[in-house]
Amino acid sequence: MDRVIIIRYGEIFLKGKNKSYFESLLINNIKNSLKRYKFEFFRSQGRYIVGNYDINCEYEIIDSLKKVFGIYSLSVADRVETEYENGFAGVNESLKRLAMDAASDCLKPKPTFRMTVKRADKRIPMRSCEIAAFLADTVLKNTDFTVNLTYYDYEFFVDIRENGYSYVYSDVIYGSGGLPVGCSSKGMLLLSGGIDSPVAAYMMAKRGMKQVAVHFASPPYTSERATAKVAELRDIVDAYTAHMPLYVVPFTEIQLEIHEKCPAEFMITIMRRFMMRIATVLAKREGCTALVTGESLGQVASQTVESMTSTESCAGLPIFRPLIAFDKEETMALAQKIGTYETSIQPFEDCCTIFLPKNPSIHPNLKKVEEAERKLEIDELVKRAVEGTYKV
Amino acid sequence: MTERSVIYLDNAATSPIREEVLNAMTQAMRSDYFNPSALYAPSAEISAEIRRIRSEICAALHAPEGEMYFTSGGTESNNTALFCTRKPKGSRIIVGMGEHDSVYAPANELKARGYDVRFVPIMRDGTIDAREFENLLDESVSLISVMHASNETGGINDIAALVKLAKKRAPKCVFHSDGVQAAGKIPVNLRALGVDMYSVSAHKIHGPKGIGALFIKKGVSAKPLLFGGGQEKGMRSGTENFPSIAAMREAIRIYIENEYATNYSKISKYRELFKARLTEIVSDIEIITPTHNSVPNILTVAFKDVRGEVLLHSLENYGIYVGIGSACSSHHESRFKSLLGLDDRHRDGVVRFSFSEENDLSEIDFVVDCIKRELEILTKYRRI
Repeated sequence: MDRVIIIRYGEIFLKGKNKSYFESLLINNIKNSLKRYKFEFFRSQGRYIVGNYDINCEYEIIDSLKKVFGIYSLSVADRVETEYENGFAGVNESLKRLAMDAASDCLKPKPTFRMTVKRADKRIPMRSCEIAAFLADTVLKNTDFTVNLTYYDYEFFVDIRENGYSYVYSDVIYGSGGLPVGCSSKGMLLLSGGIDSPVAAYMMAKRGMKQVAVHFASPPYTSERATAKVAELRDIVDAYTAHMPLYVVPFTEIQLEIHEKCPAEFMITIMRRFMMRIATVLAKREGCTALVTGESLGQVASQTVESMTSTESCAGLPIFRPLIAFDKEETMALAQKIGTYETSIQPFEDCCTIFLPKNPSIHPNLKKVEEAERKLEIDELVKRAVEGTYKV
Repeated sequence: MTERSVIYLDNAATSPIREEVLNAMTQAMRSDYFNPSALYAPSAEISAEIRRIRSEICAALHAPEGEMYFTSGGTESNNTALFCTRKPKGSRIIVGMGEHDSVYAPANELKARGYDVRFVPIMRDGTIDAREFENLLDESVSLISVMHASNETGGINDIAALVKLAKKRAPKCVFHSDGVQAAGKIPVNLRALGVDMYSVSAHKIHGPKGIGALFIKKGVSAKPLLFGGGQEKGMRSGTENFPSIAAMREAIRIYIENEYATNYSKISKYRELFKARLTEIVSDIEIITPTHNSVPNILTVAFKDVRGEVLLHSLENYGIYVGIGSACSSHHESRFKSLLGLDDRHRDGVVRFSFSEENDLSEIDFVVDCIKRELEILTKYRRI
């Protein structure tokens, strides 16, 4: 008897002729997410099997797999020889153990169960429901469970494969769903260090987008720790994003120039326009086809429709804002789920909060902003910032 | 980390370990690994050694009859002092407003647990307002904690006078003083101070992190914070950290041998020169640390129109490391800054320079020049 993890994929199932492309990405991402562990990987008709792993690492392996987009669900199963001639001896033994474990954990009076059998091995003359009835006997004999096919507390699965082996299991663990990262092109994420942008990275990764992150730093106004915090956030979301490189752009010079030469009310808008320009240059260099931000409509002055319109006009690429209609609470709940929240709330100043004007314009007029910007040597400033950019 | 010359001016945060101290520590780790509680001879020898070190530290601090308990450092000593003394439910506890977080946070916790905790306002130099202190005293006071020297300004509280006052008005109170910033910097005489409890830490005097001590005078009843094997006469369970204890002894020995605490001419000369040069070259600064009545190694200055944190990072580029006090972030603004009574333009610009015997007078010109150069740039772009 072997212990294995069965991996089922979701949406890819619906793909037509491109299915193998999606599958190869998913397999690659699965193997990468488990690269710290020893294991064997098999493909088996619309599902994958991870076997021969160290049983002590089972929880860690499942945790890693739960974060791989494209996986619909997982089950830890016993792989046994079917032994039909022997009255399903191996299956029965495994089933008995599962049932007794379930019975000892069960606190409910009069628990019910259902037996679900799939018979891919057509050499066996019994039909699935006959096998189910036969195997259910084992559960009935060893526990106080009763059968109820519609309203059941436990479901025991026996999957009889053609190769003479069967998988026996009872629990289904749900994965993250979505599409395998890499299937939806590459995007450049503007990663600030706050709560929203790591969540935006998670959301886009869920739809299969590979991402490269860019962070704007303003030393000495922002500290080395703020950058370290951003790198830490990247490391946390990496479990979902299948590794996201991080670039840090020196932004001080641009901020000082804006501060000196432009009206305070447009400070933030102009600053964000520069971020878009720089991100666009870097995105094209990295082969990214879109920008991603954590903006949410109306959250702050720079996230009104007018503000976003005026910053968007500087981006040479489409901007995706997966959190646009999220309340802060919803974003925070997701941040907690993916594990970035605690790091995000560490108090280090980021480049957006320094030189913050008292009354930023909430509805900046694009013409006025462009007029105000004219005093700056935009191309030169962007070029220098891009040149100073480094990878973390 | 890149190798470059560093001018370390944040010795009040922690100080670099001395070579001799490190040697004493590795030596103890290598050969004196026995559990001091075990029954064989080498263990008994270590146990005796710890006893000797304990009495050496007591002697260095001129402690009256009582016990010096080794702890994991200042925070544990202060927590033990606040939580573990006997206090009637709901009784009054007096704590300085400018205390270190390891006293301030436990005091707030005691408040939440139903004690009548009162915070004494501090004055501009970081010492407590003695008159306000006196007003808070009455017979219901069970515990007082006032730091010996302020970690933010270096200002020294007149602990002896405060103890006298307290014992007269609240005879049953226990008086604790956090001496982490004072021990080794100024002469400490626990008999003369009259305190019931006193906290010290090794890493502020070029010792290792993770070791400190709490002195508890005879007759003061206290319960342990940690229970277990009953080490340290039951007051602090946990296998004795002998390598750190041996290192702490060595750190103290160097202080005593060089008479750093009594003969601090070098370090105060550094500070005075630094201050003179700074006031000469940089305009509009407020010196917060008092000239007299302060530990000689701290100089806290408020700069105008610049944020302390930003100046800190600017100086970092030159390899100069300074401090901005213990609660240092824009989101958890230091209690202290708001207490100092600085005007709006100086309020955010507080920087703490703290020196040690290892600093060299020849650095001063360079440091002050760097400050001047950076201030010119930074004040040009102050917040709108």
